[in-house]
Amino acid sequence: MSEDPENVEKMEGDSAKPDRMFTLKKWNAVAMWSWDVECDTCAICRVQVMDACLRCQAESKRDFYGKQDCVVVWGECNHSFHYCCMSLWVKQNNRCPLCQQEWSIQRMGK
Amino acid sequence: MLKEKGQVKFEEKWPYMRPVVLKLLKQEPVSQPEWQELFYSVHLVCLWDEKGPAKIRDHLHEDIVQFIKQAQVRVLAQREEQALLKAYIAEWRKFFTQCNYLPTPFRQLESALQGKSASGTASVQASGTKKNQHDDSIVRKLMLDSWNESIFSDIKHRLQDSAMKLVQAERNGEAFDSQLVIGVRESYVNLCSNTEDKMQIYRENFEAAYIQSTETFYRLKAPEQLTINGVQAYMKYADNKLREEEARAQRYLEAGSNGVIQCCVKVLVGNALSAILAECAPLIRGGETDRLHLMFRLLERVPDGVLPMLRELESHITSAGLADMVAAADIITQDSEKYVERLLELFRKFSGLVKDAFSDDPRFLTARDKAFKTVVNDTTVFRLELGTGKNSGTKVVAPESKCPELLANYCDMLLRRTPLSKRLTSEEIELRLRDVLLVLKYVANKDVFMRYHKAHLTRRLILDASADSEKEEDMVEWLREVGMPADYVNKLARMFQDIKVSEDLNGQFRASTARHDAINIKILNAGAWARGSERVTVSLPLELEDYIPEIEEFYKKKHSGRKLQWYHHMSNGTITFANSVGRFDLDVTTFQMAVLFAWNQRPLERISYENLRLATELPDAELRRTLWSLVAFPKLKRQLLLFQPTASAPKDFMEHTVFWINQDFALVKNGKLQKRGKINLIGRLQLSTERSQLEDNQSIVQLRILRTQEAIIKILKMRKRISNGALQAELVDILKNMFLPSKKMIKEQLEWLIEHKYMKRDDDDINTFIYMA
Ligand SMILES: [Zn+2]
Ligand SMILES: [Zn+2]
Ligand SMILES: [Zn+2]
Repeated sequence: MSEDPENVEKMEGDSAKPDRMFTLKKWNAVAMWSWDVECDTCAICRVQVMDACLRCQAESKRDFYGKQDCVVVWGECNHSFHYCCMSLWVKQNNRCPLCQQEWSIQRMGK
Repeated sequence: MLKEKGQVKFEEKWPYMRPVVLKLLKQEPVSQPEWQELFYSVHLVCLWDEKGPAKIRDHLHEDIVQFIKQAQVRVLAQREEQALLKAYIAEWRKFFTQCNYLPTPFRQLESALQGKSASGTASVQASGTKKNQHDDSIVRKLMLDSWNESIFSDIKHRLQDSAMKLVQAERNGEAFDSQLVIGVRESYVNLCSNTEDKMQIYRENFEAAYIQSTETFYRLKAPEQLTINGVQAYMKYADNKLREEEARAQRYLEAGSNGVIQCCVKVLVGNALSAILAECAPLIRGGETDRLHLMFRLLERVPDGVLPMLRELESHITSAGLADMVAAADIITQDSEKYVERLLELFRKFSGLVKDAFSDDPRFLTARDKAFKTVVNDTTVFRLELGTGKNSGTKVVAPESKCPELLANYCDMLLRRTPLSKRLTSEEIELRLRDVLLVLKYVANKDVFMRYHKAHLTRRLILDASADSEKEEDMVEWLREVGMPADYVNKLARMFQDIKVSEDLNGQFRASTARHDAINIKILNAGAWARGSERVTVSLPLELEDYIPEIEEFYKKKHSGRKLQWYHHMSNGTITFANSVGRFDLDVTTFQMAVLFAWNQRPLERISYENLRLATELPDAELRRTLWSLVAFPKLKRQLLLFQPTASAPKDFMEHTVFWINQDFALVKNGKLQKRGKINLIGRLQLSTERSQLEDNQSIVQLRILRTQEAIIKILKMRKRISNGALQAELVDILKNMFLPSKKMIKEQLEWLIEHKYMKRDDDDINTFIYMA
């Protein structure tokens, strides 16, 4: 299968002669973001932290994707979990499920 | 007015009743008063004379027998068989009609004689439910029994023979009064004394004789027809005769008498089966739908008769399909559009055949589908080699059909802005996408399609190359509708959502400062898009490098707890190239940009491969591919880069191969040099790095292993213990929307799971597996 060179067309709006042989006109830069975590699986629900937690996936099958409200939370111990998972967990047990230190939030993802 | 008991005697009344009875028997007119008087007389006798009812019955019997004797004389006076039959039927019809009238006035006898009467009556009452009053009445039975004893039993065989001769005559095209045959049948049915099975005599005599004579007739005729007129004509003959006999049976036989048709089928179809079947393959080859339909109608009547037809159809579609593919191999291996169109043409042709010839009978549809599967998944024309990679040592995976890959390519051509998608209307594109889904149904390994489809979608979204974003999202829903795995479809849908989030972010970024007119950013959710190891490092030109900290700074303000990784092999842009000929806008990948910008400081220099590697820091394979795209871009008359010494493939570049910018570069259109213009040099380069393609193939195999293990555990968890056969069946069912697990792979995974104590074999039966928690 051949891929046509996108048709050869006239260039519009000629500006002054550039001083360099190649000049940048447009750049489409691509990056991927992910939570800055040490372990990429949430130890509570066993789902990757980049995906919504199990509850969120089950509750709104239709629009869980793309929505960024199932965020990650870091404890003072630096362990991280889904915020949804952890807020349920602390109602039972106010300790980090991984290191048993008393749980206190260091920061939240946004 | 009422008289004392015993005052009305039978003997008093009978002389008045009898003449009316005789008139009724002879079908002479009876006046209204006479008719009513008869009722009243019966009533009085039953009421006053204890022995009256029995006497009435006996006298009635005597008169009936007398009447029948006269009829017998009239009937037996006929020597000749036809005449005998005619006379009998005439008498019978009259008598049978009276069987419906004469019993009516005597209905009161029923209750009067009940229990008192000797044999017969009681059991008739008991067994005969209310379905027909006539059938149950004593007088009617008396009439019919007498008829049977006095006439019918003596001559029934003669009658039957005559009737069969008439039927035979009708088969030979002679017309006659069908009532003659029907009358004989009625006699059999109505004169049966077996109250449990009223059809017994009819079945054993009349129907049996009917079947016998039918069989004799066609045993003689059928082979004669076959030899004289040939199979084609014979099939028509058999079909006509079967319909004819069905209609005839409906006239002459009781409802539910199916024996004769079974017999006709046996003689007309069963006995000619091999001759008929021999025609099947040629007719399928010739696409002769009418004749095939005729054959189908005939063979369907024989148990398992269509089985050989199904086999013929399947093998024909398979071999014709494969032959077609092989014949067109040159074109279709290179052109996914041609390939898919070829397949679809094939499908339409044979679906049409199944519809016209076999009325879309489910068995034939299944045979068609089996053949389509074989064609689609065949590996003779081209194959996809899926290696398991170095980590798995010597394991060789069977090659697979390239069909799913080509289907995905074709989808891409329809969904991307291409000459094809520009040429087609929205409706045409939708139709073609639906066609792809139709073919996809037959693909055994849908996971390969999914992998390629996702890669193409990624490319379209990153390059903003979709022809119609609405259609893109429709396609995702159609994939869901045809049963592609939900987690896969959700992932695609998530990419669309994410690209929208990213567009918003880009808008905010562009608004945040005027300086970034040249920059668009796509910052995507790694969970939705990326597989871990795809990233390729590159040393960006300063012009680009400058922007990175600013973008990261901007992103940090918007979000926290996130890290960014740049995917430069996905990014791209437009640069302006100026030389002595003119100025050109080039759409390029970031890698191409990195290579080309190396000349900005030294426009006329020749730079060695080695130095380009140092400048760009691209991995060897990527650098070679990138350079090749700049020295040998298809369809460019003048390439952007020139090099020395010559090479015929990327792998031929050496460390000291030198490259320089073609200062005479220009676009050529219709043979004329253009001083201005725009060209897209990105081609197929984007997204699929050398390494990731290999890894993709390996990851497909790894993923299959994982899915197979998961599915085995799931089944065992549910069943606790299961036989090997049942397990395999359930496994194929669970995995069928992704891939067809090979026997070998299943066996390997079972052994691995046993070894790792997830399960064990039953001690008593090595073909049964037991789940271990
Ligand atoms: Zn979680
Ligand atoms: Zn959640
Ligand atoms: Zn912790």
